[in-house]
Amino acid sequence: MRAYAGLARAAARSVLTYRLNFLFGTGALVVHLVAMLALWSALLDAGRSVAGFTLPEMKAYLLIAFGTGFLVSIFGDFRMASRIHSGMVALDLVKPVDYQAARLAESTGGVVAEVGAVAVVWVGVVTFAGPVAAPGWPQGLLFAVSVAAVVPLKFLVVYLSTLLCFWTQNYLGVFWARDVVVSLFSGALVPLALLPGWFQATAAVLPFAGITSVPALIYLGHVRGAAALGLVGLQLAWAVVLWYAARLAWRGAVRKLTVHGG
Amino acid sequence: MALVEAEGLRKVFRLPVKEPGLGGAVKHLFVRRHRDVVAVDGVNLVIEAGEAVAYVGPNGAGKSTTVKLLTGILVPTAGRVLVDGVEPHRDRRANARQIGVLFGQRSQLWWDLPVRESLALLRDMYGLGAREYAERLERFDAVLDLGDLLPVLARKLSLGQRMRADLAAALLHDPRVVYLDEPTIGLDIAVKDRVRAFLRELRAGGTTIMLTTHDLGDMEDVCERLVVIDRGRIIYDGALAAVKDRFARDRRMHLVLAEPVPHAVVAARLPRAEVVAGGTATEFTVVFDRFGHTAGEVIAALLPLAEVVELRIDEPAIEDVVRKVYAGELSLDGDPA
Repeated sequence: MRAYAGLARAAARSVLTYRLNFLFGTGALVVHLVAMLALWSALLDAGRSVAGFTLPEMKAYLLIAFGTGFLVSIFGDFRMASRIHSGMVALDLVKPVDYQAARLAESTGGVVAEVGAVAVVWVGVVTFAGPVAAPGWPQGLLFAVSVAAVVPLKFLVVYLSTLLCFWTQNYLGVFWARDVVVSLFSGALVPLALLPGWFQATAAVLPFAGITSVPALIYLGHVRGAAALGLVGLQLAWAVVLWYAARLAWRGAVRKLTVHGG
Repeated sequence: MALVEAEGLRKVFRLPVKEPGLGGAVKHLFVRRHRDVVAVDGVNLVIEAGEAVAYVGPNGAGKSTTVKLLTGILVPTAGRVLVDGVEPHRDRRANARQIGVLFGQRSQLWWDLPVRESLALLRDMYGLGAREYAERLERFDAVLDLGDLLPVLARKLSLGQRMRADLAAALLHDPRVVYLDEPTIGLDIAVKDRVRAFLRELRAGGTTIMLTTHDLGDMEDVCERLVVIDRGRIIYDGALAAVKDRFARDRRMHLVLAEPVPHAVVAARLPRAEVVAGGTATEFTVVFDRFGHTAGEVIAALLPLAEVVELRIDEPAIEDVVRKVYAGELSLDGDPA
């Protein structure tokens, strides 16, 4: 455990080392958030609602989508991809830690910095764009669990796609493809309720909804009680399934490893 | 049982074959052709505990690939590796605890952290106690002069500083086997000496060392056994001194004389050496067998002709031996293997 705690701390420190990079990254996502807020404010003015979303609810949804989109995003995939590409991964393979768990620890370390940034942005948005809907405490507690489950779930989606670098030797294409799939199927782009029925049905069984849609709907109280518990259970189940799927993928990936020179 | 055992070790990389130009790239999208490159071809290697082995070969001979197979980084295509009973690529974590690895061209320090933090992180990874850790740091400080480097960010280190810090990182957990892949590459003489002194001390302490290098000084200072690999196969495995005495015999003495002397006159004074005329009439290079002549004899022979103004001696290099072997000029066969 000491090793993984150390890795998480080192990752958090690395993020803070590149403050400017961190600020620009945050800034870009904030611009996107502000644009979405403006768009939905225009669409939902005068008390209108779309697919069950009123304006305060939609604001809350966008804030959560921003938050879960931000988690597990700054430290991890590009670093891992570049280490695979450059062969630096060789050095990770001679450390007495589990590769997958070590990357999870690093991503979790990054989350500490990310949570701080998300909190600042939330306070800013609520200050300037007015109050958002807030849940009662049992729903709030379930929301907290659901958000916590986002971290391993999102990590694994990112990790699995990054493992593809062992085959593709290029990460950017993988990154773009994943970004499109995740933002669409997670409900980060638009709430899943706005999409066609067949799409919703597909998204409901895939792991991606657990990254944005599930915590957001629980926060808003659109799903409650047993249904909400079921969705959190599905998040956790997916995390477990993907954890072992990633182990399997790793076994194949490491056989593909080619390190030239040095 | 030996500490490190490799048997019939083979590694084949599959590389895509692309025809030149855009047309080739497009064609490759539809018709995939691959070429198998055999990097390591049936290597057998046994290293006993406490041995120091120099692993040598021309670029691309398969040195680094062998090291990566022995350390478990790469999965062998065929054959088997055992390091103290552990199969490295199957049981990476158990293997990692007993080995130390240094790649001269890659740093294992955390780029954005001070050296101290990297070492503390490794301490946590290997589960070292506070006292053990402090003792090791002290020892490293004594030989590698580490103290000044500890608060510096890894990315701000010079190459020599980086290598010293990397050595400490590779050896912090006091591994039984150490694989060093070109640990002195690009270092100046002072740092090189320090690194070699450190490796000698390490060997004296009973650590098993496998050293990949192009530097004869490294090998002579640290190792007693030489293994030469060429095109993925081991072509020599035996005592380092034996190879040196047999094949690395030619010293080259570069001389500048005070006044011009005809080449033939110089050559006549040194019948058993080869004399090569330099760029000007006062410059010569004398190539002589270090067992046939001493350097003093060569100078003594030339002094009656003219005063020697400048003098430089190139020592024979194992590299030259390897190059000759590679060029087919020399066979190491028949040596004790």
